[in-house]
Amino acid sequence: IATFLGRKLQPRPQNEVEETLKRIQGQKGVQGIIIVNAEGIPIKTTLDNSSTVQYAGLIHQLVMKARSTVRDIDPQNDLTFLRVRSKKNEIMIAPDKDYFLIVIQNPSD
Amino acid sequence: MLFIFGHISRLLSMVKCGGSRFQFCANAAIRPRFLVMEVLIVTVGTTSPMHFFINTLTESAYRSMLFSEADREHVPVRVFDENGKDVTPQPLYQPDPAAVMSKHSKIFASDTSGGTMSDFYSTAYQTTTNASFAGPFTRSVFGSSTVSRGSQSTMESMNEEIEDPSSKRDISISLSDVQVRREEVKELIKEEMLDDVVDRYLIESETLWLLHMPAVSVSVDSEEAVSVKERNNLYMELCKNRMGNDKYVERSMQTFNGAPKTKEVQSEAITMVDAATTWDMYDSFRSAGLGEAALSPDTDKASVPEIVSNHRLDPTRAPERTMSPFVVPSEDEPDPELVLQSEKFQQDLFVMERIILENIYQPKLAAYRQLPTLEVMLHIECLITYKQPCLLDVPDPDSVPKVVPTVVSRREESSLDEESTLTPALERLWSFSCELTSGHNVSSMAWNKRNPDLLAVGYGQFDFKDQKSGLICCWSLKNPTWPERVFTCESGVTTLDFSASNASQLAVGMHDGSIATYNVESREKTPVIDSSDCAHKHTSPVWQVRWIDHERGASGEDKGETLISVSADGRISKWFLRKGLDCIDLMKLKRTRNEKAKKQVGDKEKKSEALISRQAPGLCFDFHPTDSNIYLAGTEEGHIHKCSCSYNEQFLETYIAHKGPLYRITWSPFCSDVFLSCSSDWTIQLWRQDLFTPVLGFTSTQSAVYDVMWSPKWATVFGAVNEGRVEIWDLGASILDPTIVSLASPGVKLTSLLFATETDCILVGDSDGQVGVYQLKNLTVGEGTQVR
Repeated sequence: IATFLGRKLQPRPQNEVEETLKRIQGQKGVQGIIIVNAEGIPIKTTLDNSSTVQYAGLIHQLVMKARSTVRDIDPQNDLTFLRVRSKKNEIMIAPDKDYFLIVIQNPSD
Repeated sequence: MLFIFGHISRLLSMVKCGGSRFQFCANAAIRPRFLVMEVLIVTVGTTSPMHFFINTLTESAYRSMLFSEADREHVPVRVFDENGKDVTPQPLYQPDPAAVMSKHSKIFASDTSGGTMSDFYSTAYQTTTNASFAGPFTRSVFGSSTVSRGSQSTMESMNEEIEDPSSKRDISISLSDVQVRREEVKELIKEEMLDDVVDRYLIESETLWLLHMPAVSVSVDSEEAVSVKERNNLYMELCKNRMGNDKYVERSMQTFNGAPKTKEVQSEAITMVDAATTWDMYDSFRSAGLGEAALSPDTDKASVPEIVSNHRLDPTRAPERTMSPFVVPSEDEPDPELVLQSEKFQQDLFVMERIILENIYQPKLAAYRQLPTLEVMLHIECLITYKQPCLLDVPDPDSVPKVVPTVVSRREESSLDEESTLTPALERLWSFSCELTSGHNVSSMAWNKRNPDLLAVGYGQFDFKDQKSGLICCWSLKNPTWPERVFTCESGVTTLDFSASNASQLAVGMHDGSIATYNVESREKTPVIDSSDCAHKHTSPVWQVRWIDHERGASGEDKGETLISVSADGRISKWFLRKGLDCIDLMKLKRTRNEKAKKQVGDKEKKSEALISRQAPGLCFDFHPTDSNIYLAGTEEGHIHKCSCSYNEQFLETYIAHKGPLYRITWSPFCSDVFLSCSSDWTIQLWRQDLFTPVLGFTSTQSAVYDVMWSPKWATVFGAVNEGRVEIWDLGASILDPTIVSLASPGVKLTSLLFATETDCILVGDSDGQVGVYQLKNLTVGEGTQVR
């Protein structure tokens, strides 16, 4: 993010979240968005249930491992973003202590 | 006991045969554990006359000893010779019961005797004897560590033999089932005896007879001799036959094994957590050291395993109990809605959106930022493998780019070929547009001075009819689909400019004559300051605003940036903040006909018209790049006035050439004497400061030129936009025709132009609200900075 926008964030209107989600969903190649809480339970998703549960469980473990790796190397460091690019698509994960935001995109769609 | 028997029988045979002492000694050497016994024998039977005596005496002696052994009474054994002398062999060492208090002896005694350690004397007495006889038992009891040593124990002396087990005792840790008791005993002793110096004495104890079966010998001459001999012979036969005899069969016994029973136990899934990770320890240390403040959300985020391990380790970390009230709330399941509305989530969404878009627009952005090689390779590789353009970030190192002729006449290949064979072209990369902006006319664009990726676009109509509410969008290069900021204004925006000193301040001029400044950093939708309250505000549309940095403050004010505006009411005003936005007029643009008539003698145009107003609407201005006192102003009449900030009544110069309103004046950034002007009379004029007629004029089409701008990179290049096309002129190449011409989409008028400062791109705004980004390709321009 440019330094220009690295300011203290002001409270945003509530519907902006919905708008942003809609925009992301409408972007080219985006296959699905999953929001998972800290326990690993999906709270919002645009995919079908079985895929959602599968993604949530697997990605949870992956993020834990990744975060553990990063912090083992330097405990003051922390994981901010994780991208897994595969042949068919790309999974982008924004982890936080309360939730995971997972977006699956196929860029060559 | 068997081998005792065997030994005794052998000994007996020796005795019977009248073995000499030597043989006894030999035996003694071989079977050291019976050394004591044999010593006795030897001692006793030193002389042959004693030989016989041995038999009788030893027999009785043995018997008595056996009995003593059997009932565990320690009747002292006494041996008498024929003379009645007490030849009881004395023990080599009289144990001192008080002295021997080694715990090992006690333990050993308790171990083997099974609890008959009654007094010290007895234990001491038993010690060495136990050692000697219980040698084999010792070894079996104490396990393998002693066995190896025992088997290799020296056979030289008894002492050593005795020493060995005791030393072994020192070393070995017993495996027996009296472990507990021993430990208890150990414990007791330890506490008492810790500080004492313990003396260990290794003594030789009395020989204890555990089993003694004396051999009976019969004189050859006696009556029983025959039967005894027979019996012996039978026995010998028996021994010989034992091997293959059916009567003697190896037989094993089986112990009873309890029937095995499988039992299943179910437990909860055991989660294995790496608790002792580096970061976990770091977190624990921090939270312990810093107290509650350490867990505040804006410092390290506690990860979920950390919370888990926190609670697992809770019993062991009692002082950290104070942390638990703080930890518990974070354990509670946050409301999903709360999660979704949290600030962090919105920021993550924001970042995610940008990343997704980066995926999509990656080649375009790469081209914008002039990273051609990567993209070239990728594109060619994609075309080869997939037969269609695709987006990959990782270039395949195997596919070395070769010149592959493709159908698509894209720029990627063009850079591989020789540039001279290709014509310069405009490549459309993407366009900034969204549904908010569609239908609005792009009136002006400005780059942010500090962040070259940020673009402000103002939307508003030029004509006084069709006035809609104006719109300002701040776009970021990282998100071409949605603006970062959207500000709505009451009237159409005609001009805007970013401040250089305060990079987030955006000044906007509007169609209703008001000027406002916005702070684009904040998310507020209202302007920071507005000129609507100003008494001297413009009454007509503000056509241009500019932040000008004065080196010398005009009228004694401090140096700094001031906002200058020109509007259709004929005033060029300088705005500043003094209890609200206020302005003073720098210049009033007067109608110049009269003035010109005054200046130039002999001018034929002496018509004086009935003037509606004395002032000419100003449409544009531009300050000199180096001398901020001098500026040019263009009016609706087509005149260009050179003015100075110091004189606000008179123009310094006037340049007349255009026949229509001037839409843009711009100084050349490279050549400080030269400026360009464009107007609705279809022409662009190139002027030099000291010449009153234009040096060059450019006409290409018959449509009004709305915007012209020098390229910031090349001295001889400028771009112009008229209603239907974008033209890039390269004066070094041709002064008659534009070098690149790009047509607009039908039905759309192109209205504004902006060069990108660091890359070879231009932005073109059109009347449909789109700002297209184009890349200049193959524009080979000389390095000269002189127009001529």
